[in-house]
Amino acid sequence: MQSVAEFDNVGLRYGTDAETLSDISFKLFPGSFYFLTGPSGAGKTSLLKLLYLAHRPSRGAIHMFGQDIVTMPRARLPGFRRRIGVVFQDFRLVPHLSAFDNIALPLRIAGIAERDLLGPVGEMLSWIGLTERADARPATLSGGEQQRVAIARAVIGRPELLVADEPTGNVDPDMAVRLLQLFAALNRLGTTVVVATHDIHLLQEIEGAQMVRLDKGRLSDPTGSLKYPPRPLVLRS
Amino acid sequence: MRLPFSIPDHDRRLIPDGRLAGIMPWIIAIMLFLTALSAATAVRLGYSVQANSSGLARQATVQLLEPDPAARATDQKRIAAWLERFPGVSAVRAVPESEARQLLEPWIGSAVEDAGIPVPALIDIAFASPPDNAQLRALRIQLVRQTSNARVDTHSSWIAPLLSFLRTILWIALSVLLLLLVATAATVALSVRAALNTHRSTIEIMHMMGSTDLQVARLFQRRIALDSLFGGGLGLSAAILVLVLVGQRFSALGSGLLAGESFPIIGWLLLALIPLAVTGLAMLMARWTVLSALKRML
Repeated sequence: MQSVAEFDNVGLRYGTDAETLSDISFKLFPGSFYFLTGPSGAGKTSLLKLLYLAHRPSRGAIHMFGQDIVTMPRARLPGFRRRIGVVFQDFRLVPHLSAFDNIALPLRIAGIAERDLLGPVGEMLSWIGLTERADARPATLSGGEQQRVAIARAVIGRPELLVADEPTGNVDPDMAVRLLQLFAALNRLGTTVVVATHDIHLLQEIEGAQMVRLDKGRLSDPTGSLKYPPRPLVLRS
Repeated sequence: MRLPFSIPDHDRRLIPDGRLAGIMPWIIAIMLFLTALSAATAVRLGYSVQANSSGLARQATVQLLEPDPAARATDQKRIAAWLERFPGVSAVRAVPESEARQLLEPWIGSAVEDAGIPVPALIDIAFASPPDNAQLRALRIQLVRQTSNARVDTHSSWIAPLLSFLRTILWIALSVLLLLLVATAATVALSVRAALNTHRSTIEIMHMMGSTDLQVARLFQRRIALDSLFGGGLGLSAAILVLVLVGQRFSALGSGLLAGESFPIIGWLLLALIPLAVTGLAMLMARWTVLSALKRML
């Protein structure tokens, strides 16, 4: 089975500092659901940055969708990035765009015609319960609403890989479960999902999800999930 | 119909007007106003230099310094007829004595006739092409054989320093024009760089979503194109107004090297092209600046 992502002995260093990530080796299988856990400063966000192609590693090899992205010319990276949805820890919504325009942004970047994106964006707004606030700018949205917009933006393009950094950190427990349901639904459609979280309870919401733990920049694999193809997911609700 | 540099509403919202537009069209208007004036000066001077080089430089005046009025008139007719046959001469005109006296009036007053001051007989000649030194020497030698009291004044001899001065001014105008274009390009680059910093987070987000460098560059170059066209139109209008006013002043002078000649059509066409050229330059600079900056991002 071709992996979505394959890391081989990867290290990441910022400038001349000590390595933030060391000797990271794993494979992410298509259609699998992973929780990435670990204490603050363990390197979760750095690992996700490598996954969503914001950085190249300082050493080691990374293959995404079967392609070596370490030596890949940067002109080819946008095509790969369009296959990845990202939920940033700090949301990173465009402040002067409405909720609608923020969610539509990946589709517009992909060149989808305006008439073809009204339906999907409207559906997504309805799903996250923000139809009435479609024209609202991020500054006028609550933290939870902003996070929902950020998640909607990440999933609107039906990415092959969804990377989420603490996606439920600012939402109430009910919304957290709804968001996980969305992730699980996407996962059932074939999207590989990687969710970095502190929330240990979240791990129990999705049976079949696999856990990867990072500690001091090194990977541990308590469930052995990285060695085996995924099991079917069951969402507990 | 959508112009190639028109911006869809959603793209316009990505790079809001207030950040890049603002003062930019006005700066471009000022730069273009100065550029158009420099270009107009260069065109006008170039035109004058060319016209004077090819016109006045072909002309010469033969003076007959004969004190006896009757002999002077006879000599003028004879020499004029002889000059018509001289190789290379295309036109000969014996200047009437009254006209010669009018030429002297500004210096010695209207009493020139009453005072009995002899006025040289003048013969204007035009060569088919500007004569070289050998041709002039031959004319002088052969003219002396016709009459001993003749003198040849070439217009090129007195116009040469003036033409040299005009050429210097022309080069200065062209240099100023070039400097203004460089300054415009630098202004655009600085402005785009500032806008890139302002919108860095938006660009990073777009990048992470798979936006290509060209997609980002296009946002900026379209915006700068609109600013340039607006500023260019404004600057050119102001420059044309000034040129028309200055042109009227020149016409009022009534004489001189720069007066009396209308601004050439080709000059107006060149001026009309300046905003388009500046817009193209601004778009190229914006594109280059954005692409250079984005290369530093992964």
